[in-house]
Amino acid sequence: MDVEVDGILVAAHELKAPLAVIRQLALSFDEMNSRDEHIRSEMISVSERAIKQVNDLIKVKRLESGLFEMEPVSVRAVCDDVTKELNYLFDYNRKELFIKYANRSRLVTANRELLYSVIYNFLLNAMHYSSEGARAELVIKEVKNRVRVVVRDFGPALPVDIWREMKRGFINKPTSIAMRPGSSGLGLFIASRFSRYMHANVGAVRHRDGTSFFVELPVSKQASLLNDFCN
Amino acid sequence: MIFVIDDDYIMAECIARATRRDAEIFPNAIEAMNAISDGKVPEMIFLDVLLDGPNGFTFLNEMVSYEDTARIPIVIVSSLDFDKDLSSYGVVGVLKKETMKPEDIYEYIEKYSD
Repeated sequence: MDVEVDGILVAAHELKAPLAVIRQLALSFDEMNSRDEHIRSEMISVSERAIKQVNDLIKVKRLESGLFEMEPVSVRAVCDDVTKELNYLFDYNRKELFIKYANRSRLVTANRELLYSVIYNFLLNAMHYSSEGARAELVIKEVKNRVRVVVRDFGPALPVDIWREMKRGFINKPTSIAMRPGSSGLGLFIASRFSRYMHANVGAVRHRDGTSFFVELPVSKQASLLNDFCN
Repeated sequence: MIFVIDDDYIMAECIARATRRDAEIFPNAIEAMNAISDGKVPEMIFLDVLLDGPNGFTFLNEMVSYEDTARIPIVIVSSLDFDKDLSSYGVVGVLKKETMKPEDIYEYIEKYSD
């Protein structure tokens, strides 16, 4: 693994403990008065998101040992769980999340934990970079024998160089995205690494008014055979 | 008396506070073992695994080997992932530092502390 990326992963490990402490301190406060309670909840929520990102980075390192099992996974169920977790954040930031499931309810071959993180990172990205009042979209559709999850935002366009890396299906290391201030490209880096592990295609489509990020997974043959047998 | 063994003092304080009991904090396993040798036997222990000096597993081995400490309920509080059954070492539960809540700690207190 790239030395620079390796350094990031070591740093991630070091960040885990202080983040857990910040979260625990916020939880330790007795409920504040109603005016300030949102500050406490935000501290908890921000530290939990940071912990999640740190854990994802630690998982990038663990991918090398191949410890994540591939299994039949329901994409709809994973999307349901992710949106359930992030819905409040969209509400809090006054952004709308539009969800459309246009696929048959089929299982894909994936690792549930990794797929969750890919969709989570795409959605978090869309939440950050959709303009205020605009909406982000989560769509599941079928493309031949694959299931595609698309997350569309209505924010600044994705720079061509990042689009090319996404097209190649692999982001070598986190790269800040000039047109998206504050972005370190970390979410896309994690999503591309996890997708590659799952033999999933990952990519981006540039629009004039935003970007669609997608991950495309193979339908589980094992589950399909079982389905055909039962029918 | 509840023992909290954790080298991160702020985390240990959060755990001690969540027990809502008289709790003593130890930054390492040796100090906790010395306190027990001096006759201070806790009702329950919250134990971190990665510690300076002997780690949490060494402490578990030590505890289970003595008649007077073998039955003390121990809750592991760690950032590590555990998939092994540690009940033969007196471990009654595992809490992940990144996801646990104060009420999770208190639940163990209610269930296992006198």
